[in-house]
Amino acid sequence: MAKSLVEVHEKSKSYDWDFTVGDKTPKYPTRYIVPKTGKDPFRMLVRDYAKMEAEKDDRTYGFIDGSIRMRMADQIQPRFMEALKLTLPDLTNAEFQAVAGVGMIALSIQNQELRQGYHAQMMDEVRHTQLEMALRRYYVEHWRDPSGWDLAQKALYQHPGGLVSLALFQNFNTGDVIDSVINLNVVVETAYTNILLVATPQTAIANGDHALATTFLSIQSDESRHMANGYGTLFAVLQDHRNVDPLNEALERHFWHTHRGLDALVGWQSEYGAVVRPWTYKDQWQEWVADDFIGSYIDRFADHGVKPPTRLGKVAQDVPWIHHSTALALAAIWPLNFWRSDAMGPADMDWFEKNYPGWHDVYGGFWEGYAALADPEVGRLILQELPSLPPFCQVCQLPCIMPRPDKSEIRVFEYNGSKMAVCSEGCEWIFNRWPEAHAGRKSFWARYHGWDLADVIIDLGYIRPDGRTLMGQPTVDMKRPWTIDDIRRIGYEVKDPLAS
Amino acid sequence: MKVASPSVAPAVRPSVSVLPFDRTIECVDGETILQAVLRQRLYVRYGCRHGGCGTCKAMLVDGDVAEGGSSFALASNEREQGWILLCSSSPVTDCTIDIGVMDLTEEEFVAGDQVGTFMTVVERIEALTPDIRGVTLRLSDPGSMKFIAGQFVNVEIPGSEDVRSFSIASTPRDPGRIDLVVKLLPGGAFSSFLEAGLQVGDGLRMYGPFGRLKVRLSYRRILIVAGGSGLAPFLSMLAELSDRGDTRPVTVVFGARRVQDLYGIDQIERLTRAMPALEYVATLVDPDPGWTGETGFVTDVIVRRFPSLEGFDAYLAGPPPMIEAVIPLLRERGVRAPNIYFDAFVPTGG
Repeated sequence: MAKSLVEVHEKSKSYDWDFTVGDKTPKYPTRYIVPKTGKDPFRMLVRDYAKMEAEKDDRTYGFIDGSIRMRMADQIQPRFMEALKLTLPDLTNAEFQAVAGVGMIALSIQNQELRQGYHAQMMDEVRHTQLEMALRRYYVEHWRDPSGWDLAQKALYQHPGGLVSLALFQNFNTGDVIDSVINLNVVVETAYTNILLVATPQTAIANGDHALATTFLSIQSDESRHMANGYGTLFAVLQDHRNVDPLNEALERHFWHTHRGLDALVGWQSEYGAVVRPWTYKDQWQEWVADDFIGSYIDRFADHGVKPPTRLGKVAQDVPWIHHSTALALAAIWPLNFWRSDAMGPADMDWFEKNYPGWHDVYGGFWEGYAALADPEVGRLILQELPSLPPFCQVCQLPCIMPRPDKSEIRVFEYNGSKMAVCSEGCEWIFNRWPEAHAGRKSFWARYHGWDLADVIIDLGYIRPDGRTLMGQPTVDMKRPWTIDDIRRIGYEVKDPLAS
Repeated sequence: MKVASPSVAPAVRPSVSVLPFDRTIECVDGETILQAVLRQRLYVRYGCRHGGCGTCKAMLVDGDVAEGGSSFALASNEREQGWILLCSSSPVTDCTIDIGVMDLTEEEFVAGDQVGTFMTVVERIEALTPDIRGVTLRLSDPGSMKFIAGQFVNVEIPGSEDVRSFSIASTPRDPGRIDLVVKLLPGGAFSSFLEAGLQVGDGLRMYGPFGRLKVRLSYRRILIVAGGSGLAPFLSMLAELSDRGDTRPVTVVFGARRVQDLYGIDQIERLTRAMPALEYVATLVDPDPGWTGETGFVTDVIVRRFPSLEGFDAYLAGPPPMIEAVIPLLRERGVRAPNIYFDAFVPTGG
């Protein structure tokens, strides 16, 4: 006779294991006191897990099969698909880093109940990477311009946008294990996955991409368990009051850093990668981050000493702007992109001004100039209109034009004899508190200081199979695409703004 | 799904599936969903139990229910969207309801009824205004009640099973003391009892705590709009903000008819000293000639003082017409709908 789930789950915990070979010392020491007791709220067993996930996989892959037969890829708005060439590999990078992170967490937390939850999460993260790779294969084979999709992950890791992703998501598996839980399970998965995996599908459907919506919603269906892992771990560590201060500090750090990375990139995809925008990014943030995460989730821990991040107000102030500034930066460096960066037209500009009053004064002129220089016959790049390249932030890796180019909060400093920059007071605080975690990152501009832009593009490998045409283009229109010869003729030299 | 008339004969023991917890309960003939939930030792949020407060509002996802009592707290558009009140709805077919809006964890849902019964002793009765009384109850059995600033309690009228709901005006820091602000209503059962015979030292039975009004964690500025006895929950919530050391700017707009209808001023002054970012604005509809403060309704003050309210949380309590008038004004000036907080009917007296 089948035993009850509770009974089997309780028994499964007695199969705790320990190893006698190898070093049991965790890779990074923890400053928290982690109690042995804790709770896996989902009581997930492998038998149920496999059955449930197999069904979800069947549905998702079945949908993609149907999409191929119905030629649904032809209905996708080019602007959406092109921006996705950056953001989908960004997400896959998050999954990769999470696989490593959850492995580290499961090994380090000596608490079988929590560990069981993290084991299930590790399998989830692997499943997510597989789903995303399958989606990417669908795009490579069925989207009309596969260029960029064919080398997306490799392309990502050498692109400035990929460096934002690396700097953010490597925190999942680097440093104190409880800090990693706060970053991965609490901030990224609880505060931000609804924006990423629920709102993005809405935008995808509005822009003709149903395969992405199906895939992302399948991924999101696992996230509530990951949120519960974070919730269970927080309650466990809050049993000891000595954990409260480090926990608040970790929340402060990762809330700020996650805001920088995700509000910039997801906001960009949501509004600059869309022709039809179901709702504004700032409203998505208000609903899921300000109201749900802070107003409800963090509120539940308030009696245990957990406080909302002190920079919450500053984050709320910057959210309406930083994705516009990110869009400006990504468009300005379009020859260095592995996707076609579409120009914003009059209808887009009207939408932005209506929803973000004051937008036109800050960004309107840039987009008008951008459109005017889109034709290679003009023979000039928008990059040449900039007084200098903006340094990248040593912490979040965004260009130091945040929150807006006219209100940059850049700080330049020296560390161990090297000149560095951070984009804001929040990133400055993080750098000063954890310098060893951030000082080692080499700037994209430093890597190519003194190079001709054409040589940089060749080095990155962002050239189409004809050997001449650039992957990156300033519009989605390919009537007269830019070639490497057009760039060579301009003779633009990359200059690291921090080079002395 | 639909809401049927009460005359529809209910199915025998229809079952109700409760989302998001994937739990199914069985209702006996004529039983409301709330009664069935509590009988089966589960918990959902509820308050007045007679359709007046809206605390037990849930979404009917599938199936039919009959409305047996009042559903005063539901707006007609909410009814069309499928909202029901669990305290006044009985299933006539198998149903599915979603209580996600109650923001309960599964642990809270399965923990059973968390509303307590308390014996109290009247410690103070004070005339705050000509028609508002301050009443302090000292809890005797059990001796304390854990509550959140903004919640309310039901007080039983002795000799009957009737209860009246009142917001708690005191701070959760003293869980053995409950301050109430009672507006005297002509002919009101509790008002008559209070005026006719209630004495310091008398015993009263109290149930609670109820309601979801509370100070939300946020970065936003706070606008509080109160009228009549509606200031009560905010006295508690402001004390909570002060205790927390919350530095967000707060503006309290308190509307009354005449200067003698204002109350709680000493308490507000103490709070203002502790909270430099607290601003108190009293407005009178019928001011004396010497009054130098704001005049007119609370809506007039909002129009004059707040051309934009973007980035605000708004908390409201007072007579329903005031709440109905204020909400569209707040929306028009940029307050997001989810950031306007009030219990659908904040009980103020009777």
